[in-house]
Amino acid sequence: MEITDFSQPLRQSSKGIIVIFGFKVFQFFKKFFVLFIAFGVSLIRGKSFANITPTMILLGIIGIIVIILVIAILKYLNFKFYLSKEDFHLSSGIINKDTTIIPKSKIQNVYIKQNFLQQIINVVSLKIETAGDKKSEIEISALDRPTAILLKKRLFNKLSVASEELDLVDHIEEPEIFFKVTLKRLLLEGLSQNHFKSFLLIFTFVFSLYNEFEEYLQELKLEEHIDDFVQLDEDTLFNLLITNVIIVIVVVLISLLFSVVKTFIINFNLEVVEHQKTVEINKGLFNKVSLSLMPSRIQNLVITTNRVKQYLGLHSLSVKQAMVNQKQQKNFNIVALEKEQLNYLINKLLLNYIAEGETEKPSTYFMRISALEMLSLGILINTVLLFLFGVEMLLINFVFVPLAVLYVYFAYKKAYYRISDNYITIGSGVIDTITNILEIHKIQGIKLKQTLFQKRSGIASLVILTASKAVTIPYITKTEALSIYNYLLYKVESQDKNWM
Amino acid sequence: MNFTNLQIQTESLPKVEDLVLKPISNSYLKIIILNKLALYAGLIALVFGFKYFIEKKEDVELNLWYMIFVVIVFCILNLIVSLLAFKKRKYAIREHDVIYSKGIIIHSMITVPISRIQHVEESRSWLARHFGLSTLKIFTAGETGSDLSIKGLPHVEAKQIKEIISDKINGNN
Repeated sequence: MEITDFSQPLRQSSKGIIVIFGFKVFQFFKKFFVLFIAFGVSLIRGKSFANITPTMILLGIIGIIVIILVIAILKYLNFKFYLSKEDFHLSSGIINKDTTIIPKSKIQNVYIKQNFLQQIINVVSLKIETAGDKKSEIEISALDRPTAILLKKRLFNKLSVASEELDLVDHIEEPEIFFKVTLKRLLLEGLSQNHFKSFLLIFTFVFSLYNEFEEYLQELKLEEHIDDFVQLDEDTLFNLLITNVIIVIVVVLISLLFSVVKTFIINFNLEVVEHQKTVEINKGLFNKVSLSLMPSRIQNLVITTNRVKQYLGLHSLSVKQAMVNQKQQKNFNIVALEKEQLNYLINKLLLNYIAEGETEKPSTYFMRISALEMLSLGILINTVLLFLFGVEMLLINFVFVPLAVLYVYFAYKKAYYRISDNYITIGSGVIDTITNILEIHKIQGIKLKQTLFQKRSGIASLVILTASKAVTIPYITKTEALSIYNYLLYKVESQDKNWM
Repeated sequence: MNFTNLQIQTESLPKVEDLVLKPISNSYLKIIILNKLALYAGLIALVFGFKYFIEKKEDVELNLWYMIFVVIVFCILNLIVSLLAFKKRKYAIREHDVIYSKGIIIHSMITVPISRIQHVEESRSWLARHFGLSTLKIFTAGETGSDLSIKGLPHVEAKQIKEIISDKINGNN
């Protein structure tokens, strides 16, 4: 294999033109989507739209495509990058020439991604993320895989003098694939997900469709027919019940399918590769991504599982890093891990994490407040239903009340916190069991919160702010909260550890 | 090797609750009142405007006095709460951190270690300049939740604090 010399200004692979072109065309059509529909409709109606004939439109479209192609070629020609000893240089732009220089030490993350088009023509894109603001990202959209991997490696080696040796070491020590998801586990993961959200989403969708359909029927004056039809059964309520039950079953099936397909597309061929210092995640069906996790940049670990998943041995680990945008954040999710694998990974990412220290529970005020929440939600639901549908709908309380009681019970049961020498562990969740772990020296700020009503009971909440998210220790006694407050501040301020 | 690993006595740690927090400048109360008055005037004008437009379009008579009454009660309550809350706006700078507490209905006290501060900013609005006040903004790398903005500091003091913090940040690096 010929080794690419990154010290000379380089262009991307010539296939980059296709990628840029494809991307621009897609963007263009997305932007003017509405306009195209308007054109299309007026064409179908056979009217000329402001004296424009179909041929003219066709010519226009061809013209636009040619312009985009020219732009893509120019962009390709003007896009050059090279590596110096300490920085990554990039020059780009057709008319406005931009030169970007990123010091290697400021690079947060390097991703290798591959979308559908890139998969077809066999190139990858390399994305460089820095700790600055969200816009300072760089994407090289077409590189062949070996070059991209080499470039990534070079970017992470801070001293280019030693890079040759490091490369050698890396070559000898073949990285080991630590975890590879099987299709069966992925299927189980999809099935055992918390379907509540997708269920609600699809339920509202189907229900509105159903309503819409009803109106449509009324418009067609089919109502009389239906009324006859219904009256044959005599029991309208029963009929309505059957329809609703069918809707619910259909919705449940759809949401199951939805979750399974979503899990499959995102996590297809999920692979966790262990390097000496970093952990690499590869996954995706249409959009293949490859990301590295650096232990020092991790701010939070969130472990999610639920009853069913626990039984099946499925745990997901989501890693929150600093300054990573929302879309990318989702990619740092490793699903379908066994318990041992999970523990191994946690230990790899957080040095010496032991679940030590005493586990404490929030005050029983927690139960009171969640019961109050449920009560107000219940009153709201009841009044709305009473006004809209009448007294019969109050039967829903037979479902709602037990659910509310279970909610309060589980929310309190799953809530705990544990503070050890170096770590804070916070448990929460109702349906899911969520465990949040963070290192004490990564705290950015601490907030004590107390409402007027909590003051009387001497209750307060503690919010721990980090660079990636805020976690809350809810409803503990104020003295306890203050002693944790003082302890954490002492820990953060007395150690000279950097948060990144 | 200069390494010790003594037991930490949680009772002997510096206590944030024993700290006497400093209230912000009293002149800031005037700014709050002025801002609130402008808001209330806007609200009442909105009620009149609303009545005017609705009655022109549709033939319904709205009870103006009823609406005004509701708005005024809201304004009075709001004013009382913000006056009481003013007393809760307090701050302190310690050797290693900045503390700011505020709020009456939801009281919060936030502490940011100086070693985590990214940069400090001192800004003044037109009104604040008139009263010789300024706002001290402290930015961390965290989510927006951990950024502090201490309003209503005397201009000189804000500048001093800014200097102290800047020096400490640069000293650490």
